[in-house]
Amino acid sequence: MKLVIDESRCKGCNLCVLVCPYGIFGEGTELNSRGIVSPVLDRPERCTNCRLQALYGRMLCGVCQMICPDQAISWTDEKPFEPHRVEVEF
Amino acid sequence: MIAPDWFREDRLPHIYCTGCGNGTVINCTLAAVEEMGWKRNETAFVSGIGCSSRAPGYILTDSLHTTHGRALAFATGVKMAKPDLNVVVFTGDGDLAAIGGNHFIHACRRNVDMTVVCMNNQIYGMTGGQGSPTTPLGAFSTTTPYGASEPAFDLAELAVAAGANYVARWTSYHVKELTKAVVTGMQAPGLAFIEVRTQCPTNYGRHNKLRRVPDMIEYLRSHAMLVDKYNRLTAEGKPVPDGIFTVGELVRRSRPAMGVKR
Ligand SMILES: Cc1ncc(C[n+]2csc(CCOP(=O)(O)OP(=O)(O)O)c2C)c(N)n1
Ligand code: SF4
Ligand code: SF4
Ligand code: SF4
Ligand SMILES: [Mg+2]
Repeated sequence: MKLVIDESRCKGCNLCVLVCPYGIFGEGTELNSRGIVSPVLDRPERCTNCRLQALYGRMLCGVCQMICPDQAISWTDEKPFEPHRVEVEF
Repeated sequence: MIAPDWFREDRLPHIYCTGCGNGTVINCTLAAVEEMGWKRNETAFVSGIGCSSRAPGYILTDSLHTTHGRALAFATGVKMAKPDLNVVVFTGDGDLAAIGGNHFIHACRRNVDMTVVCMNNQIYGMTGGQGSPTTPLGAFSTTTPYGASEPAFDLAELAVAAGANYVARWTSYHVKELTKAVVTGMQAPGLAFIEVRTQCPTNYGRHNKLRRVPDMIEYLRSHAMLVDKYNRLTAEGKPVPDGIFTVGELVRRSRPAMGVKR
């Protein structure tokens, strides 16, 4: 699974930056075409949900999606499947 | 996005300001509705007027966007006429406690079987930041330029005193806990009241040195205290820091209820 921010909805509030335990979201620096500074993703493949949602068959963590006031965060299937080397630091 | 079956995607993005907590509360409520397994044609959302009250407009069910303060009166009518419907009310602190204060206490007293989610941003958001009955002492707003001098209502305690069967309070930071509380409230017969302290960066934060969205969330997080801890501290006679509010389940009981599904 792949984490994506829908830039047509994101208003750049940075609440996802605040809540992600892995620090996957970082404050952005560049305006997008809607004049909004969306967060940037740092190695999103580390996200629990990206790695394990298919295995467990349910949403894991998902706090960023839940707090996102603009319904901008979701996960999409990766096609064709792209294997990743994932390093998770604790 | 959470609960895609319940959102009117054609209406998104919604009108709320950047970082407004109302969007989060809609997410949590719809996640709870999904968990309950309710059907769209058996569920109705009711609201009054305010930013918070626009929420049903983004949900794919029948809804009533009623006059200011009267959401609970309309919802009572819906529930009494059609007890088989699941009724959820979205309301704001001004809508619920100022102009609609009378309906609030009587809906709790009657214990009408519905779920009331109040997005308490402690201000009149929609009309430009006037003080509401929940604006805390000393807080600045356009109608309290020297700081609010009146004590504020504690909405959850008010619902407990007035007789609601289930009362809980969380904040828009506590998304998981809030979702659980809404589910519990939906399962409970009688009126379930869930107060959610939310951030209004535009009209509350801007006047109160909390201009950035994360500042407001941090404020909510650091001033929330679990009700058990609060009770323990007060029982031991220990001081509770200033500006603290309780979060958690405040009451769960089974007073006689009206409009319960047959
Ligand atoms: C009868 C009536 N009086 C006053 C208003 C103006 N008015 C619109 S929204 C609002 C306050 C809403 O505050 P709240 O319920 O806290 O909602 P918020 O915008 O903060 O979410 C007021 C006073 C109105 N629409 N109708
Ligand atoms: S929480 Fe949502 S709207 Fe806010 S910055 Fe993150 S993706 Fe954008
Ligand atoms: S689901 Fe959890 S771990 Fe994954 S990006 Fe969101 S907050 Fe971070
Ligand atoms: S004015 Fe406040 S409550 Fe209304 S949409 Fe903006 S941030 Fe939200
Ligand atoms: Mg308000």
